[in-house]
Amino acid sequence: MNFSDARDLMWFAGGLYGIAFVFGFLKTFRINWVLIYEAPLAGIILGFILHTRALYLRGLDIHGCPLGNTLERVQFILWSLILTFLILRLIWRLDLLGSFCAGLAFGAGWLSLILPNSDPQYWLVLNYQKLFSNPWIELHASIAIFSYGVFSLLAIVSVMYLIQRKALLSRKFDKLGSFLPPINDLEAAGWRLLSVGVLFLTISIIVGGMHWTRHPEFVSSAKLGITLLLWTGYTFVFFLHLTNRLYGSKFAKVSIILFIIAIGSLALVNSRHRESKKEGNLLERSSEFLRL
Amino acid sequence: MKEAVNQSLFLLGSSHQVADLAARERISLPPDSIDDFYNGLGQIEGLDEYLLLNTCNRTEIYGATRESFSLDSLSHYLSKFRKLEPEFLNQHSYKRSDHEVVNHLFKVTSGIDSQMVGETEILGQVKKAYEYACQRNASGKMLNRLFQKGFQAAKWARTNTGISRGQVNLGNVLCELSRRIFGKVSNCRLLVVGAGEVAESTIEAFKSRGSQAITVTGRTFDWCPLCRRKPDELAEKFGGFALSYDQFKESIHLFDVILTSTTSGKSIVDLTDIKRAMSKRPSKPLFLIDASVPRNIEEKVSKVDNVFLYNMDDVSTIANENLKSRISEVDRCKGALARRAHRLWEQMTQAREIS
Repeated sequence: MNFSDARDLMWFAGGLYGIAFVFGFLKTFRINWVLIYEAPLAGIILGFILHTRALYLRGLDIHGCPLGNTLERVQFILWSLILTFLILRLIWRLDLLGSFCAGLAFGAGWLSLILPNSDPQYWLVLNYQKLFSNPWIELHASIAIFSYGVFSLLAIVSVMYLIQRKALLSRKFDKLGSFLPPINDLEAAGWRLLSVGVLFLTISIIVGGMHWTRHPEFVSSAKLGITLLLWTGYTFVFFLHLTNRLYGSKFAKVSIILFIIAIGSLALVNSRHRESKKEGNLLERSSEFLRL
Repeated sequence: MKEAVNQSLFLLGSSHQVADLAARERISLPPDSIDDFYNGLGQIEGLDEYLLLNTCNRTEIYGATRESFSLDSLSHYLSKFRKLEPEFLNQHSYKRSDHEVVNHLFKVTSGIDSQMVGETEILGQVKKAYEYACQRNASGKMLNRLFQKGFQAAKWARTNTGISRGQVNLGNVLCELSRRIFGKVSNCRLLVVGAGEVAESTIEAFKSRGSQAITVTGRTFDWCPLCRRKPDELAEKFGGFALSYDQFKESIHLFDVILTSTTSGKSIVDLTDIKRAMSKRPSKPLFLIDASVPRNIEEKVSKVDNVFLYNMDDVSTIANENLKSRISEVDRCKGALARRAHRLWEQMTQAREIS
């Protein structure tokens, strides 16, 4: 393994998340041969360190925040997810949440590495200029992606909520359900994550919006539409929950659906990026604007 | 240099494995006679160390002895002390020696030899018995080591196997379900409608977990046919509150857990009551337990979001499944404990030879 190659490091970080995921579940079910008790958390921390270095190296390549293709965006979201989990882990002991996060980081991380055409080396093209011409756009993009990380954690918490709810409604002994956090706590955690995610996404929209008002030609209507749709969706859910009109299982399901839409829309951004690359004009460098 | 007198371990005991309740009652020692029993033990020829474990389910005497000691003399002493026929005691007791004693103690402390597999109360009882023997200087080098290792084995078994997994007592199962819904049971507000055995067991389980907000109500405060106890007396016994039955429907939204246990024979909580209550606490779950036959809570209320309704069949099923899960772990646990016991016995015998 080459520790100076971003992709190698991403593979390795994903592998460590995978190990953390497997060990986390073995530990949860008290499988006897799990010798290292803190292996899951150690795996996540080590994976996160390698993940950070991978994104740092890629950032050096592209001279900016690595958000130029599907692989980079997925990896940045997963990095944000693990970062949010580790911050939460400082406050609460959330081992099973860590296992879920590690599972997602492993699965989605390796999938993004396996997928063909997910990582075009756009920074190697002739006359490559920085991905983000304006630091405000870079800030906008990175905050938006971080909010996606928070929303991915919200989706995981929502999945945990639905599993716990199903276990309770089935009125049967359920091994996984007995190790999950209480349903009341999961709903409270979901609400807090939604609040934080909406806050970050709103800040990102404001920062991006300021640039958009000056250069509306840089943003395609599809990207603008999806961005505003997602923001409206999450904000709407926020107010519905605040006024006690959306809660419980419906809140969890809507959070998961919105996250799937958010992740699904990343592919659209990529295709637009490639189109704009063919055109070879200024739009290429600003293709991420406001979408993120 | 080898010791002049070779010590060995022994055990004479009776438990639910070999004796029914009536037999155990005859063999078990009354608490006020334990001192006398210990005094008598100290006078038995060849008995160097001894410890009595006397619980409702087992009476066991552990000891370290010299070669000159005969286990029959102890059996004779116990039958004489409890005024039992020797044949009766032989029929309802077991004898173990050396590594078998180690293995048996490990099984006892870890709870796999208990009537309710995996229960933890026995460990406290063994610790208490050991402390008492230490106070009387009845426990020496060999028994000290044996029991310390026994406590470690119990901890290992509970941490590394599933023998204590899940709750098997109905009150504890309800507490576990409450924990999965609300988190800390101590923060749950419990309302009990009626005052049956299940109600009392549930209140006890909630109380033992620090719950302070316990309220009891009933159709009548005069007489409850289930347990002949007034609901307000039940509230008083556990330091809870009594609520007028007329007011309880309007107060449903104030509680997190509601247990009904009446013999009214009809539904006392319906869909309208729950919908009205949930409109005042929409995002907070409500846990309902219907311990009555015929049922007191309409089945339809479980369709309301954030409402979790269980009846006694559901709770019993969970308790039984937990018990099955524990039993399935017993063989694995037994094997692992036997290996630990064997290792300990080897160490004990080697140490003796070296000294």
